Amino acid sequence: MSAPTTSAARASTRPAAASRRPARRALRPGQVGKGLAVAGLLFFTLFPAYWMLVSALDAKAGASTSFVPADFTLDNFRFVLTDGGFATFLRNSLLVALATVLVSSFLALLASVAVARFRFRLRTQVLLLVLVVQMVPLEALVIPLFVQVRDLGLLGQLSGLIVVYVALALPFGIWMLRGFVAAVPVELEEAAYLDGASWGRMFRSILLPLVAPGLVATSIFSFITAWNEFVFALTLLGGEEQNYTVAIGLRSFFGQHSNDWGSIMAASTIITVPVMVFFILVQRRLAGGLTAGAVKG
Amino acid sequence: MRRQMFGRTKTAVATGALLALGLAACSSGGSDGGDDGGEGGTLDVWIMQGTNPSGEKFFDEVGKAFKEETGATLNVEFVEWGDAHDRFVTSIAGGTTPDVAETGTTWTPEFADAGALAPLDDYVSEAGLDGDLVEGLAEAGTYDGALYGMPWYAGVRSFVYNTEMFDKAGIEPPTTWAEIESAAKALKKEFPDKIAVAVPGDAEFTVYPWVWGAGGEVATLDGDTWTSQLDSPESQAGLEFWTGLAADGYSSAGATTWRETDVLDSFAQGDVGMAVMGSWTPGAIVEANADMEGKFAAVPIPGQDGGIAPSVLGGSHLSMFNTADDKDLAFEFIEMMTTGEFASKWGEQSGYFPGQKSLLEEATSSTDPLVAPFAQQFVEGGASVPVSPNFGAVQAKLTTSTMMQSILSGDQDVATASKAAAEEMTSLLNGGS
Amino acid sequence: MSSTTTVTAPTGSGHQPGSVGGRLARKSVLARWRPWLLLAPALLVLAVLLLWPLIRMGMFSLQDYGLPEIVSGEANWIGLGNYTEALTSEQLRTVVLPNTVLFAIASVVCTVVFGTAVAVLLASLGRVWRVIVSSSIMAAWAMPAVTGTYVWVWIFDADRGVFNHVLQSLGLQDQPVNWFTDRWSFYAIVLLNIVHHGFPFVAVTVLAGLLGVPKELLEAAEIDGAGPWRRFFSVTVPQLRQVFAVVVILSTIWDFKVFAQVYLMPGGAGSNREVLNLGVWSYVESFGQNRYGFGSAIAVLLTVLLLLVTVVYVRTILKEEEL
Repeated sequence: MSAPTTSAARASTRPAAASRRPARRALRPGQVGKGLAVAGLLFFTLFPAYWMLVSALDAKAGASTSFVPADFTLDNFRFVLTDGGFATFLRNSLLVALATVLVSSFLALLASVAVARFRFRLRTQVLLLVLVVQMVPLEALVIPLFVQVRDLGLLGQLSGLIVVYVALALPFGIWMLRGFVAAVPVELEEAAYLDGASWGRMFRSILLPLVAPGLVATSIFSFITAWNEFVFALTLLGGEEQNYTVAIGLRSFFGQHSNDWGSIMAASTIITVPVMVFFILVQRRLAGGLTAGAVKG
Repeated sequence: MRRQMFGRTKTAVATGALLALGLAACSSGGSDGGDDGGEGGTLDVWIMQGTNPSGEKFFDEVGKAFKEETGATLNVEFVEWGDAHDRFVTSIAGGTTPDVAETGTTWTPEFADAGALAPLDDYVSEAGLDGDLVEGLAEAGTYDGALYGMPWYAGVRSFVYNTEMFDKAGIEPPTTWAEIESAAKALKKEFPDKIAVAVPGDAEFTVYPWVWGAGGEVATLDGDTWTSQLDSPESQAGLEFWTGLAADGYSSAGATTWRETDVLDSFAQGDVGMAVMGSWTPGAIVEANADMEGKFAAVPIPGQDGGIAPSVLGGSHLSMFNTADDKDLAFEFIEMMTTGEFASKWGEQSGYFPGQKSLLEEATSSTDPLVAPFAQQFVEGGASVPVSPNFGAVQAKLTTSTMMQSILSGDQDVATASKAAAEEMTSLLNGGS
Repeated sequence: MSSTTTVTAPTGSGHQPGSVGGRLARKSVLARWRPWLLLAPALLVLAVLLLWPLIRMGMFSLQDYGLPEIVSGEANWIGLGNYTEALTSEQLRTVVLPNTVLFAIASVVCTVVFGTAVAVLLASLGRVWRVIVSSSIMAAWAMPAVTGTYVWVWIFDADRGVFNHVLQSLGLQDQPVNWFTDRWSFYAIVLLNIVHHGFPFVAVTVLAGLLGVPKELLEAAEIDGAGPWRRFFSVTVPQLRQVFAVVVILSTIWDFKVFAQVYLMPGGAGSNREVLNLGVWSYVESFGQNRYGFGSAIAVLLTVLLLLVTVVYVRTILKEEEL
């Protein structure tokens, strides 16, 4: 854990102590309002996921307005994993997402060090370029990118998808990491040089550990990009069903079973839960990472 | 074979590209599915699926027989109708088309126009099949004087109803539009929570029968110029009747955005009294819900004052793509599918009518209660959508569905919506945009 | 692994100009090129997979580019025809542009305001509740767009969806309503979907910023007699200018390009013309009609629109030296 994270954790204890004390004495209107806000927020954030799960576990999803499964079953999950082919889709997505995360984080880190630590000609232009390419509507790029991937000979393959996702995740990664790198005090680097370290050694033993929380944060974004993306997966994978990722796997499943909501929700649950668990596990690091970025901004 | 080699080259290039980027560790993604089938090679085939019964078992058998006969492995992939057009387009653009594919009759000219299909005339005459092709299907598969789509099967939509619901409501299958309306009324009274008659908004082929049934036309050709007649008084009367059933509350709000697959699902759940459904759906209904067996029947779509309202004769071709290296092998498969044992078996099992005259006669004389009404519709009440290579564009633009949805949702009345649809269709059919 | 070699190569200074000086001249050549070496792999990927396709998109937009052209690779130039058609189209003016722009404005405002409110709420919570609430926010964030869209479609399904069920059992409506056919209710659902998926990023980022605001500043303001609202708007918000700039720019970019959330809804893939936005229109024209040239022209228009918006942002909230 790096320094910014611990300071964030420390900061978080202070308002906690402050807000708990008056609550013991009497419930002030402010407290009630806050409680309602929390309840409403929890409902809004969790209801879709909850409803997804309930429908997935219900053999008669949609037959009545029951907020617990009316007819509990695991058949929907069984069906989706075997006949639905989601075991394969999950594996493909995981492979694509992990590769995208590793490659794009590495490239983004190198690039962000360049723009955050060096002043060179065209630096502003490079940054603007990075900002501008993020604005391109992706579905507009479907045709030219499709032709491009065809020219690279990567159609229908997961590696083709990985290359594209790396490109999609890069601009945002560079943009975010730039802040994290800039937040690392230059003095630390200078101290390393004074100790006789080379630039490469300084990079590995000073810069890398300190921007690690930032890397986690950007990794999450590239992970989402790869896990969620569907237009490119649809066009670039073509008919290679054994290479489908979860997003287009779900769409093709929806096409075949458009009114079998129990199974659709089971498939959605299977796709969503791994990401949710991952997110909840890394959230402390994510928040810590963003704090580090925000110190400098 | 070439496809396989192609695949390997791709992986090599991929690895090269990744290495160049310094990312060698990540080239593991290029797994190339579908091992090649030994000496005989592999034939890649796409088959469509949608509201028809699953064809997996059938094609397992075909694959075995094909292997025995030719030594080649058959690699069948099932493609959803809804996605198929995009899939074809991208694979044509990417040069990754299968060797043979089922193509909807309205698409064959489009793909031929793109230079993706191989002409079949020589093969067909060599096999001595030219005299036996069902004319309408062969015509639809002809582009620029050459045959690109081998007629495989045709289907037709009729009026399917839930016999259990009809019995409980004490009504008989309708034979006129007035009877449809009174049947719907009776069903709604008996089953207030169910859908008396499904009027889907995103299913163009369930709309045209009412246009024709009222004496209207979808579009007419005068010289070289198409004119859509969707806004003629007759057509509007037909649309008024069909959408009026929904306006009177006999359909459901959800049906406004339904496709035919949704109609099928709801019907199979026993939630729908009457619907326009295809000759291929009875098998799929039972497949989706075995309880429905014996609880539904069909009649030809009633005309306004009796008789039969025409319904679209849709169908599929088997087309050979230019990317097929072993074209003889590809045609062997096409021939196997469209003639003899497998053709009639497919017809029986799926509820489609074969594309060969000799087989068709046999099928249309069937007395099966779930085949005969469709056969009657096929023979006496078959019609065609405008025969123009541009009709595919009308379909892709969802002109008719757009019109239906705006009427069903109450945004526009029949007159306004049909006028807009007719203008758009006229323009598209004449090659505009 | 050529890029790795450049990173580990033993070399000297060259980071911040003037911070460490006096190295050997032979090394300074490498030092001068180091930023470019570090940038090279990323720029290569961007050039091959984003920039060149972007240029191609511009080229396609000047052609009548259909399926035959894609197969043969031949050009078919028609000048600005596609643009004239798109810009004079009734569809663009009355439906597509309002759907895109107004929706983007609405969703950026909703996402940022709601996200900020949640961040403030989170900052005021105790540790246990903060973990619970932020975990639930993570759950919303983690829901993939495709899944999320299907879940919302299921919730609002006309015949069997829970929303209509509840309304009916409360007696608020007699007949099920199809919420997907009306332009306003359609986009209200999309908005709900977008805010649900998009606010966690805002909340987490702003929260991180909030925790970074020096306590001394707030305390000083309190001593000066500033109330909580005043403190928030005159101390916290200015401190978070950069954070808000990033959040607003990114939200804008994302919300202008909403695609899957519209495309996957009933009627969203083109059969309901009332709900087309620029992205879906471009896609539908390209793939449905095989008019890739026209689709590309629409895409170029959308890109230009986004570019303008971003330039305005960059000019007003981000000064150039802060880049």
